[in-house]
Amino acid sequence: MSAAAPVSSGWAIAVYCVLNLALSVALAPFFMSLIKKVKARVQRREGPGIFQSYYNLAKLFKKEVVYSSNSSFIMRIAPYVNVVCLLTAALFVPLVFVPAGFSGVGNIILFLYLLALAKFFMALAGLDAGSAFGGMGSSREMAISSIIEPVAMIVFASLAFSFHSLNLFDIFSQVAGSVPFLSRPTLLLVGISMFIVLITETARIPVDNPETHLELTMVHEAMVLEQSGRNLALMEISAAIKQLLLMALLVNVFLPIGLVVDLAALPLVAALSIFFIEMVILAVFIGFFESYCTKLRLFRLPTMFLIAYFLSFVTILLEVLV
Amino acid sequence: MNSLAFEGVVKVILVLVLVSAVVIISRRDILSLFRSYAAQSLLLALVAFLSFIQDGQLVLLYTSVLILVVKGVFIPFILKRAQRGMSIDRDIDFHYLQPSGSILVSVLVIVGVYAAVADKLKVVSGGSLFLLGAVLGISLTLMGMMVIFSRRQVISKIVGYLVMENGVVLFSLFVSELPFLIEVLVLMDLVILVVISAILAFGMSSSLEEFHKSLNPFHDWFRGGNA
Repeated sequence: MSAAAPVSSGWAIAVYCVLNLALSVALAPFFMSLIKKVKARVQRREGPGIFQSYYNLAKLFKKEVVYSSNSSFIMRIAPYVNVVCLLTAALFVPLVFVPAGFSGVGNIILFLYLLALAKFFMALAGLDAGSAFGGMGSSREMAISSIIEPVAMIVFASLAFSFHSLNLFDIFSQVAGSVPFLSRPTLLLVGISMFIVLITETARIPVDNPETHLELTMVHEAMVLEQSGRNLALMEISAAIKQLLLMALLVNVFLPIGLVVDLAALPLVAALSIFFIEMVILAVFIGFFESYCTKLRLFRLPTMFLIAYFLSFVTILLEVLV
Repeated sequence: MNSLAFEGVVKVILVLVLVSAVVIISRRDILSLFRSYAAQSLLLALVAFLSFIQDGQLVLLYTSVLILVVKGVFIPFILKRAQRGMSIDRDIDFHYLQPSGSILVSVLVIVGVYAAVADKLKVVSGGSLFLLGAVLGISLTLMGMMVIFSRRQVISKIVGYLVMENGVVLFSLFVSELPFLIEVLVLMDLVILVVISAILAFGMSSSLEEFHKSLNPFHDWFRGGNA
């Protein structure tokens, strides 16, 4: 293999796009079921197999879609808007390979807004069907979002301050192949904050319970309650991709030992396996974390979010002032 | 250990000290308050030990061992025993500031402390590490104060005092080294304070307000005596 040019060729960018999208779609359901499996094992249950999410999706894609008679076009387009937003966002987070000079994509703020747009349409769809649960779920989700969005902004701003860049490609190519938190200890703080954002955005236990359909507690599940068939499958796969992207962001900012900058077959395979192992470890950790925590009361959530806010604010302070 | 690695490791530890302070501000479970305090003290002992390896001053080694034994093991042990006797395991009421409010105020405190001391300390000491240690030390003291006034249970107020003292230790580790004798005396005081207040807390078995109520019957006696 020849040495890679400083600015990637169109070919490298094409490889990146295909690789990133294929990996996100292919691996996302796996980590969903892996976390479920870990939680089941902690509860001494056998739990579903680790490929169960794929079977579910395959089943749902085959089923017909049922719409409520009250629903409008929102209900019909929301799943597609969701999945398109998330697939676009998947181009923003390099999973194993960072092409150089791929400008225009990778802006952190745009990434956050793509996630927010997807969430907005999901909440609209929850309201659109006209059922009581959907509206309740949307209202709760928006209440939580209105607190976590500014926190997420500060968390990502602290990331941007640490690396003096708003572009994820830039950040990742700075850290690729190293252990950045040794030289930038404040990344520990960012890591904790990002973990809290991850848990909140993926509707996991201290905030929401992904397992339950109990009307008193469900938030995310209530919004997709009216979805069926193919549309439900699209909603589920976009939730899985969102989780994968946030997990990958955490893994690749914190311990990007597998990330490669040059395009070559062997390092890419090595990077892929390291990335996969790291993600599995993070997924197992999330599973244990969810089993260890109890769901917090809604009014106690701001404290948890404020911890993330505090830690990332301190990061900015340390990076800028000291 | 070269000085760059030393600085990196100490920064990581200081960051973790801050995390433990936030945990102490926000947790409601009293045993986990003690655990976080013990962890915070262990981190301080580690900072002192690393400074000993860096500078080679024996005082730092003694300080480190002393912090480890007294604050990492002995004081949490006394507190745990007092707590076991009291049958309170959660502190759920807060005065003036809820935990989320305290965390927001802590942010302001750190910014304020930095703004107040940065210029003066830059003259005294060169490195950014010293400035960081000093700012976090003073902030930790103020955060401990916040724990004292926002908590209701006496036993968690004690943890606030202890966090304040940890802040002083942190400040002194980085800015002005106290003579070893004074460190020993401070720790002795601390142990006595914890023992006395643990006994008091045991007697009150909850918050100052309730203790006040249980004192009320005696109030009449004294009034009678004065009249």
